Amino acid sequence: MTDTFDHSSLPEDELLAAEYALGVLAGADRVTVEQRVVRERAFARMVAEWELRLAPWAAEINEVTPPAQLWDRIDAALPAQGQRAGLWHSLTFWRGFGVAAGALAAACLAALIYLGTLAQQQPLVATIEGGGHRHFVATLDSGRGTVAVVPAAFSPDATRVPELWLIPADGKPRPIGLLRADQTVTLTMSPDLATLAKKDAVLAVSLEPPGGSTTGLPTGPVIATGKLTSL
Amino acid sequence: MDLNANRSLIAAALGRIPDGDRAALQTVYRLTSAKLFGVCLRILGERGEAEDVLQEVYMTVWRKAADFDATRASPMTWLITIARNRSIDRLRATRQSRNMDPIDYATEIADATAGADSAMEDLQERARLHGCLEGLASHERAALRGAFFDGNTYEDLAARMKVPLGTMKSWIRRAMIKLKACLEQ
Repeated sequence: MTDTFDHSSLPEDELLAAEYALGVLAGADRVTVEQRVVRERAFARMVAEWELRLAPWAAEINEVTPPAQLWDRIDAALPAQGQRAGLWHSLTFWRGFGVAAGALAAACLAALIYLGTLAQQQPLVATIEGGGHRHFVATLDSGRGTVAVVPAAFSPDATRVPELWLIPADGKPRPIGLLRADQTVTLTMSPDLATLAKKDAVLAVSLEPPGGSTTGLPTGPVIATGKLTSL
Repeated sequence: MDLNANRSLIAAALGRIPDGDRAALQTVYRLTSAKLFGVCLRILGERGEAEDVLQEVYMTVWRKAADFDATRASPMTWLITIARNRSIDRLRATRQSRNMDPIDYATEIADATAGADSAMEDLQERARLHGCLEGLASHERAALRGAFFDGNTYEDLAARMKVPLGTMKSWIRRAMIKLKACLEQ
């Protein structure tokens, strides 16, 4: 097997998009790509093109009829009848909201820059996004070991609660605590956890049963992620 | 059912979901859930977990149906991609891949051509992908199969095929470059 194979026939981003679409990435690598899909339109298109290329392979997978009661579970989890998904979930609406949320985030940043000049240690911030929506804005006070999380465009789920996770460089998620859709939550991290909450670590939000995950790892879907950056 | 009619039905129902049409979601579910459950089950290998993820998939469809662009992708491609991504997310969050059996690619038999499948309508695309996959070296195709169907990571694949991680990365990347070139011919 030759090792002199030239990868340069495709740009690095294109290869990364291919790896993500194929599914071989794990941990922080996968999370990083998911973030880029949310933020970078050109990169998201490359991923979509690779997904399109590979999807026909799924024709080989046999159909399996799910249990009859599964539709009832889905139906029960949908928003109450009469609530228009159209307004709440339409892209136009969220784009408009995104502008407003962007202004809010800018205001938060301005406040933090001011606070940052007062504090000994610079706070870290993370914009926790997923699926094109900015769900939460988190600010981390390394000195106190606390993280304050402001809900931005998070729409609550009837049956599950949002839980915040720290994913440091080793790619292993650690639980920080439960979040709220309707108010800012300030969570205190254990000293061990606080030392891992450094620049470039990732904050992620998953949907968990009430009370949070009992396994120490996310059990529900990770709906949004954001990298800790200094101001 | 006529395949094009099936595709149109799914696309039309997806188009009604952003208006809050629950019956439209049920139509999509009725036409696609067996295929998507198959995808989740193949990657996760455990029915209870696959059921949970399938529920998440349709909740995602409910929220994101407005993002579906019929000019870019077939509805099944869009739905299968959601099902695969959700299943892999669940797998990565909880444990190692289900299938970690050693892969002996030297004795790997050629893929059987997939049979008729009522939910997958893109016969030409399937034939083209199949032809291009056949053009890869057997070790490359075996590695891609492990990733696509078993949800294996680079590390999993290196272990299953008993090669160093760097070699596996090189194999996969080379295979993807070849695949793209072939599909664009």
